[in-house]
Amino acid sequence: MTRALARAALALYPPAWRARYGDEVLAFVDDSGGGLGAIASIALQAPPMWICPPVHLHDADARMRASISTVLAAWSFLTGLALSFVMFTQQQGFAPPDHPVVGWSYVVFDVTLAASVLVTLTGSLPLWLTMLRQAGRERRRRDLACLLLPAVVPAAYLGAGLATLSLVHHPEASGPWWFIGFTIAGFAAAAVSAGGPILAMIRMRPHGRAVRLAVRTSGAAAASITAAALASGIAATGLCLWSPGFPAYGDGPALGGYLLALIAAAAVASVSAARGRLYASRRRSSR
Amino acid sequence: MDRWADPPLLVLASLAGEPKHGYAIARDVAETMGVKLSAGTLYAVISRLEARGLIEPLEAADRRRPYRITSAGAAELDRQAARMSVVASLARSRLRGQPGWSGA
Repeated sequence: MTRALARAALALYPPAWRARYGDEVLAFVDDSGGGLGAIASIALQAPPMWICPPVHLHDADARMRASISTVLAAWSFLTGLALSFVMFTQQQGFAPPDHPVVGWSYVVFDVTLAASVLVTLTGSLPLWLTMLRQAGRERRRRDLACLLLPAVVPAAYLGAGLATLSLVHHPEASGPWWFIGFTIAGFAAAAVSAGGPILAMIRMRPHGRAVRLAVRTSGAAAASITAAALASGIAATGLCLWSPGFPAYGDGPALGGYLLALIAAAAVASVSAARGRLYASRRRSSR
Repeated sequence: MDRWADPPLLVLASLAGEPKHGYAIARDVAETMGVKLSAGTLYAVISRLEARGLIEPLEAADRRRPYRITSAGAAELDRQAARMSVVASLARSRLRGQPGWSGA
C-alpha cells in the first residue's frame, strides 16, 4: 500500500527527475518503512521540481528550445485573446465614465501588448534569421516553409479578412457568425504561425547565442503579455460589474472562461520563460 | 524536521565522513545531528546538490546509489561551517553577557 502511494507521489514529478531518482526514493521508502508522512513529503517536493528543475537532468540547449516553443505558443494564444478583447471592448469605444479603472486598464493593456509584440519580434528575429540562413544553406525546404509561416499566414489572414469585408456589405446583418468565423480563423492563423517555427526548431535544433537571446527576451515577452492579460482581465471584470446597460458584458460564464484561459496561458508562459532563463544563466556560468 | 535545520548542510556534513546512499544519510543525520530528514526533503536536497556539483553519484548497488562529496562540496561545507562557527561563538559570548543567563 505504502509502495503504491509512493509510486503515485513520484508520478507527480517531472519524467527526467523520476527516471533518475525514482528507484532510489522507493528503496528509501522500503528501507525506512515510511508511512503517510514520508509519502506526503515526496508529494510536497514535486511542484518545486517542475518550477525549478535541477539543471543537470536536462540537455540545456534542448530545454531552452522547449522553453522558447512553449512561450511562443502561450504568447500567440494570449495575443489572440488580447485581440478578441480589443474587438469586444475598445473597438466598441466603451468605458464606464464613473469607473476610470476600466479606462486605465485599456491604457496599460495597449502599452504592455505593444511592448510584448516589440520584445518578441526583436528577441526572436536573430534566431529566426539564423535558422532561415541555415535552412537555405542546407536546402531544407520543409523547414524553410515552416519558418516563413509567421510572415505569410498573418498577412494572408488580414488580406482574406479585408477582401471578405469589401465583398460582404453589412456583415453584422447576418448575426454573430462572421465575427465568430473571423475569431476562430484568427486563432487558427496564430496557431499555424507559432507552430511553423516550433516545428522547424524541433527538427533543426539550433543552439548558441541566438537561442540564449531568444530565451532571455522570452521572459520579458511573457511578463509584458501577462501584464496585458491582467489589465484586460481587470477591464473585462469592470465592464461586467459596472455596465448593466450593456447585457453583452454581463455574461458571467463567458467572463469566467476568459479569465481562466488568461490565467492558464499566462502561468504557462511565465513558468516556461523562467525555466528557460534558468538554463540560459546556468549555461553562461558553466562556460 | 527541525525548522532551524539546513538540510543541504546536514547532507554535506554526513557525506564528509564517507560515501552513503539515501537511507544511510538520513539515518546518520538522525543519529549524529538529531534531525529527521524525510524522503521528499532528502531527495530534493540530493538532486539540488548534485546539480550544483557539490556531491556526485557512485555506482549503484541494487537500487541504492551512494553519493560522495566533491572537492567543491567540501570547500562549500568548510565555508559554511566557518560561518556557523562565527555565529555560534558570537551568540555564546553575547548570551553570557545577558543578566540571568545560566545556559551552557
